[in-house]
Amino acid sequence: MRRWEVMVGNKAIAYAAKLARVQFISAYPITPQTSVVEYLAEMVASGELDAEFVNVEGELTAQTAALGASAAGARAFTATSGPGLLYMHHPMHMTSGGRFPVVMAVIHRSVKGMQPDHSDMMAQRDTGWIMLECENSQELLDTGIMAFKIAEDERVRLPTIFAGDGYILSYTAEPVEIPAQEDVDAFLPPYRSKYPLLPGLADEARRVQMEQWGIGQDPQLRWRRQQEAMEAAKMVIREVNEEFYKWFGRRYGNGLVEEYRCEDVEAFIVAMGTIASTARTAIDRLQARGKKIGLVKLKSFRPFPSEEFKRLGAMVKAIGVIDRNISLGSGGITFQEIRSSLYDLDERPRVLGFHAGLCGKEVRVGDIEMICEKTLRAAEGEEVTPLVDWV
Amino acid sequence: MSRPIPLHEIGEKEYIDPANQACQGCGGAIVSRLVSKALGDCFVRAEVACCGPAFMNIRAPSIYVEVFEGAGALMTGISRGLKRIGREDVVVLGIIGDGGTVDIGYQGLSAAAERNENILWVCYDNEAYMNTGGQKSGATTPYAATTTTPIGEYSRGKLERRKNVPLLMAMQGAPYVATASVAYPEDLLGKLVHAKGIKGFRYIHVSSPCPTGWGYDPKDTIKVARGMVQSGLWPLYEVSNGILKLNYKPKELKPVREVLKMQGRFRHLTDEEVDRIQGEVDAFWSRLVEKDGGNIF
Ligand SMILES: Cc1ncc(C[n+]2csc(CCOP(=O)(O)OP(=O)(O)O)c2C)c(N)n1
Ligand code: SF4
Repeated sequence: MRRWEVMVGNKAIAYAAKLARVQFISAYPITPQTSVVEYLAEMVASGELDAEFVNVEGELTAQTAALGASAAGARAFTATSGPGLLYMHHPMHMTSGGRFPVVMAVIHRSVKGMQPDHSDMMAQRDTGWIMLECENSQELLDTGIMAFKIAEDERVRLPTIFAGDGYILSYTAEPVEIPAQEDVDAFLPPYRSKYPLLPGLADEARRVQMEQWGIGQDPQLRWRRQQEAMEAAKMVIREVNEEFYKWFGRRYGNGLVEEYRCEDVEAFIVAMGTIASTARTAIDRLQARGKKIGLVKLKSFRPFPSEEFKRLGAMVKAIGVIDRNISLGSGGITFQEIRSSLYDLDERPRVLGFHAGLCGKEVRVGDIEMICEKTLRAAEGEEVTPLVDWV
Repeated sequence: MSRPIPLHEIGEKEYIDPANQACQGCGGAIVSRLVSKALGDCFVRAEVACCGPAFMNIRAPSIYVEVFEGAGALMTGISRGLKRIGREDVVVLGIIGDGGTVDIGYQGLSAAAERNENILWVCYDNEAYMNTGGQKSGATTPYAATTTTPIGEYSRGKLERRKNVPLLMAMQGAPYVATASVAYPEDLLGKLVHAKGIKGFRYIHVSSPCPTGWGYDPKDTIKVARGMVQSGLWPLYEVSNGILKLNYKPKELKPVREVLKMQGRFRHLTDEEVDRIQGEVDAFWSRLVEKDGGNIF
């Protein structure tokens, strides 16, 4: 039976893992992630969840152990934040390189402070993980369940992060619908690895396994295959999003991006995570005043939906991109990727960048209205400077 | 406790490819061969960065993950994963270098021992980071010349004492801990077969001379390994649930000088330095003899 409960984001994440019937959990505390593994520990202790719960001695180990469990053929989960995620960096490359469908919750914490921004995940952007960003607790729970289905899909087999802003979501309670276990079971059948690390594996499976693990003729092949899997993931994410909708009545745009009031607009802004929630209010207010601006929520950071931005970019005159991150010495990461997605358009919209919410700096509705207004001025052809702002 | 098993009692099946990439006379490759023969058809092998992948078992399921620091966690995950898919019968084995064991991998090793993970950790100890060209590790015998502890006007080689990881593991309460040597294959096979029958964390630390790094003729690997055991530089013992047993207990140890002399890495030693090594070996040996048959705690 589906039911409602008022819960914090971290509990929603724990519910996602539980409903997905994870078989292996590696746990290590770090604020603001800690209560995720505490909730799971309680579920295991009470018998609500039957899984290996391993209290490891650090995040490097948390990641490596999850990798090992996945290699053996078990459904594996772990969770972390900020510095913990940085500490996982090395084995994360190995998890994706071996094509082990580990799922991890990232509860954002800045790498330069306790408060949230996306610098922790952005520092992992080239590790070969699928990265799905969430806006509220319901989305965390739902995306957590979808993450396993995406990661384990034969066309993908890539580890997957589902992420949400620390503090803002971790400790804020809101009503969340908990799907019925039978429905989740039907949506997400048990994980059966075709390539478990076991004696007596069939030759063909072994060959594929070896190719993925890098033992083969072409040393570059594993990079190429992984990139192909990332490309395939774009379709799989859309499919899983639709299937989730059929079962549970909720979907998140097309799984990659979510358009909010983008019909008949001159411009849109782009945001990830909780800033998208704030942005909805700003868009509502501005549209009430007749302003033609919408919101595109970026949900799938990896794979990056370039095609979507190309399609959306062709419809408007300006785009304002909010980055809760920065690649120092270069700039906002999604700002650059969106600009690059638009390059092949005959008529390109103007693209403005905004750094906001780094190290947990508050982003208010008014801030976003200001961002929208500047973007609209650019859409009207005004020469706005600077191109990139700090909000 | 274990019982020595002669080679001919172990099956004929070979698991390690004769064309493996190890150097001639590699002690580690011998370990790899004997370990897989002793365990038979039901094990999976985990490898991290070290020379190990050079003698990796390609006729049995194995996984190489380039997390030099992560062997303990990797094996933990595999073991727990296999349990979940109902294959606890499979032995989870790691053949890990001394660097990956006593230095960079020590945190994960110690944690796996604490959790009493159901894994078999075999450390092949060549006393340095050989895969990267022979730098000092926490297992290097004092005074040895390595590429990062060279001999010079201001340096007499490696000065720190060895980390005694087998005893540390025993002190952590691991169900089974043993030392072994490639020069005593019956002893090693016996310990492996014994370890195979135990559930929980098992640790076997094998002296595995490396001609390339130690500076001796590849044909002398066994001679050097034997000399280390006979001189007490590498005592053979096992600790089962806290009880220590010396497996090789001659009436009298041979002087260390002879085996040190065989190796280029000790060529620079003065008589005084040899005496100092001898003193330390004697002191440790007498402690072991004292504890033999008793509880180490
Ligand atoms: C994180 C990391 N640091 C350093 C290295 C480089 N490295 C590869 S193998 C190795 C030495 C391994 O030494 P040991 O574990 O003693 O095994 P051996 O090579 O002696 O067989 C080193 C330092 C690495 N691969 N990964
Ligand atoms: S360097 Fe030493 S340990 Fe490594 S393969 Fe050669 S002989 Fe074996």
